[in-house]
Amino acid sequence: MRRLGLAALAALAVVALALYPLEGTGYGVRVMLQLFMWIALAQSWNLISGLTGYVSFGHVAFYGMGAYSTAIVIVRLGWPWLPAALLGGAMAMVLALVIGWPCLRLKGPYFAIAMLGLNEVLRVAASYFEGLTGGGLGLSLPTLHASVPIYYAMGLTAAGVTLLTYVILTSRFGLRLMTIREDEVAAEAMGIDTHRYKLYAFLLSAVAPGIVGGLSARDQGYIEPISVFPLLMTITMIVMVLFGGKGTIWGPVLGAVLLFTFQELVWARFIYLHQLLFGAIIVTVVLLMPRGILGVLQQKYNLPRTI
Amino acid sequence: MPPILEVTNLTKRFGGVTAVNRVSLSLDAGRIYGLIGPNGSGKTTLFNCITGLVRRDAGEVRFKRRRIDGLKPHQVFHHGIGRTFQVIRVFPELTALENLMVVTTGDHARACRRAGELLRFVKIESLAGEYAGNLSYGQQKLLEFIRVLMTDPELILLDEPAAGVNRTLLNELLDAVRALRDRGKTILLVEHDMKVVMGLCETVFVLDHGEKLAEGPPGVIQSDERVIEAYFGR
Ligand SMILES: Nc1ncnc2c1ncn2[C@@H]1O[C@H](COP(=O)(O)OP(=O)(O)O)[C@@H](O)[C@H]1O
Ligand SMILES: [Mg+2]
Repeated sequence: MRRLGLAALAALAVVALALYPLEGTGYGVRVMLQLFMWIALAQSWNLISGLTGYVSFGHVAFYGMGAYSTAIVIVRLGWPWLPAALLGGAMAMVLALVIGWPCLRLKGPYFAIAMLGLNEVLRVAASYFEGLTGGGLGLSLPTLHASVPIYYAMGLTAAGVTLLTYVILTSRFGLRLMTIREDEVAAEAMGIDTHRYKLYAFLLSAVAPGIVGGLSARDQGYIEPISVFPLLMTITMIVMVLFGGKGTIWGPVLGAVLLFTFQELVWARFIYLHQLLFGAIIVTVVLLMPRGILGVLQQKYNLPRTI
Repeated sequence: MPPILEVTNLTKRFGGVTAVNRVSLSLDAGRIYGLIGPNGSGKTTLFNCITGLVRRDAGEVRFKRRRIDGLKPHQVFHHGIGRTFQVIRVFPELTALENLMVVTTGDHARACRRAGELLRFVKIESLAGEYAGNLSYGQQKLLEFIRVLMTDPELILLDEPAAGVNRTLLNELLDAVRALRDRGKTILLVEHDMKVVMGLCETVFVLDHGEKLAEGPPGVIQSDERVIEAYFGR
């Protein structure tokens, strides 16, 4: 009965969101589109870091990779935005393969630092290869009013990663990913090829950030190195997941919705206060509620991690 | 029949410490072997070398005639060698059932049935849905023991399976080990309690300072001068 109620509620939410662009203002649509983006980003970070425990401190690198790949094929080759954004997702996966293969052999903290370095390297590279990327001046995309289709594409991406997380979390594949977080040595000794599984998780966690990077680039119409490789974006993903509950399905969604709403309400009015509060949230969550909202509920009431 | 496991001149150093020093031993299929020795004598390190968790410095390990030294732990496992740890290593935030399911591949329903059987076998079936981290020490020990049985390995290495387990539980565990032997499995176990070793093992290896000091039936080993000295002398 409770399941049925939840399903009905979810269906209602999907219908409402699908119809929203018909009624909403242009501003509203773009706000929602960003919320979808954050859900997709938080959910993706959860796939690698929430499940395997390998903290990716440079996950925005995949977002930036997707943004640049998409913008370049749109500007230089005249591709339509949808295939361009999908290419962005594919390129992010290629990057994840190239970086993950060596770096996922590193132990936890070293992997985190390596990922931080990757993001810095990519940002510098984006400035350096001017011929392709436009360098520090950035890249302007041809004018196009496509917020509504991009809204749907973002929404589908967010829903897609959430569904993917559900499928993974309810399978033995997902359990294997979690053994890496729980006890990597025991996982190896019990026949789990941990390097291979970490790599799978990493590849899956890169694709949606690549796609949403491409979609945002198209939506914003202009990208530059500092706008698509900001460390703050990685930190925001991390905080959203930790706040909502890592390793669960709805935790990253909840964290993204709450923090994004909070940002939208406070940010515009009190820019400094906003940063202060954001910092306070990080400290509070880490100190008092390391499992996040759903993590606490899950532990307390012995709920499945599919919440 | 050739031995199922053959360790030849295995050596492992940690900095200046030679934890395992030119140890050779050979195990025949379908028997229970004991590995004893004072703390720090290299028993766990020997297990780690066999299962690939640490890289040996010299020597060979052959399992069913195939070289397995140099393989990764997960590869050794898939050759048919399972182990438990001296310090419990269950996956705490996975349920008891998930701890068992996660090591299986292939048919899901069959794996589920096997997990159910094993949970009943050690009488913790009512805890299937409980997070492993919430189980008692003894229950976690049993869970780790049946986890290694999920894939039916031919050789099972048990590192101090009896430590910290109460009498009743211990007897069940020992019965289970004998039942495995009767099904043709080979077991090598580290144990300090000589009574347990006497009642269970057919052959005992004694390690001291990383070297193999003696080998033989437990009755003979127990009265071996050098063994007594290693344990009680000095
Ligand atoms: N990972 C390691 N790094 C450094 N020294 C180790 C390591 N593992 C074991 N040792 C050392 O090797 C020796 C043998 O230890 P161990 O194999 O645990 O003995 P046992 O299991 O017989 O008590 C000890 O001196 C121990 O300190
Ligand atoms: Mg030991």
